[in-house]
Amino acid sequence: MNIEQHRALAGRIERSLTRCGPADYEMKIEAAMLAGTHRLNAALHLAGVTRSDADVFHTYLLTVNEYRRLSVAAPTLVAALTEIEDLRPPFVRGNHPGGEQAAERALALLAQLRAGAAGGIHQ
Amino acid sequence: MNTGAHVEKIVKLEALRARLDPLDDFEMWFWAGMTAGTHALNAALHHAGVTSDDDMFATQPGVYLVPRADGSLEPAFRPLGDVLHVGRPRVDGPVPEDITAMMRDMEKIEHHRDPCLREGVAATPAIVAECDAALGRCLQRLSDRLAREIR
Repeated sequence: MNIEQHRALAGRIERSLTRCGPADYEMKIEAAMLAGTHRLNAALHLAGVTRSDADVFHTYLLTVNEYRRLSVAAPTLVAALTEIEDLRPPFVRGNHPGGEQAAERALALLAQLRAGAAGGIHQ
Repeated sequence: MNTGAHVEKIVKLEALRARLDPLDDFEMWFWAGMTAGTHALNAALHHAGVTSDDDMFATQPGVYLVPRADGSLEPAFRPLGDVLHVGRPRVDGPVPEDITAMMRDMEKIEHHRDPCLREGVAATPAIVAECDAALGRCLQRLSDRLAREIR
């Protein structure tokens, strides 16, 4: 997907987040993951680090080599998305205590991704 | 995760889905439905005794976060408990027909996941209708299975 497509989809997902209440922590985390991934892809494409036909889906599906390469290019953004992804097993798939706090953390990380992507890749 | 906990997740996700517009909020509407359906599939597999309902949370096929006594989580290899998605991992061994039908419905939903969420294909009323119908059948099959136990 191209930069504008990523931005548009991220914006739609972030708008839908306003429909979520405190109890909807599962979808807050998932939406942060989905929108955050689009924000990261837009930033990587803008910087010429990845092409529009080579999007990141999940950081944990990247090869180790590619994960390291992208972490050099955009360390804060890659780390933020990785942390969001790590919230999914205990709180979305599972019922570990602390889901609402985890969702707030996911949204804060999404804000980092949004700001970082807007400000350029060396964040 | 046990069947009751999966059902609690489904109730929450369905309540959120009801507040979303299927087209204007398609991405979250779709993802909430897919997540609810996966919880339903896991609940049915546990109920049938096909997979373990141990208190552990799937990270990748074969690896689970296991709660420790101090409340922390430890990654560990475990036999099949919750699946991540239908087919991930594949469930070996005999699966009851009603659950096989649930898997087919989930595959219909998942078919739209990457095109619409990650590849820029615009959602249409037809896609919404197909996903909604498939999820409805999936959740009804779980409800029927759990009701049979109560009778």
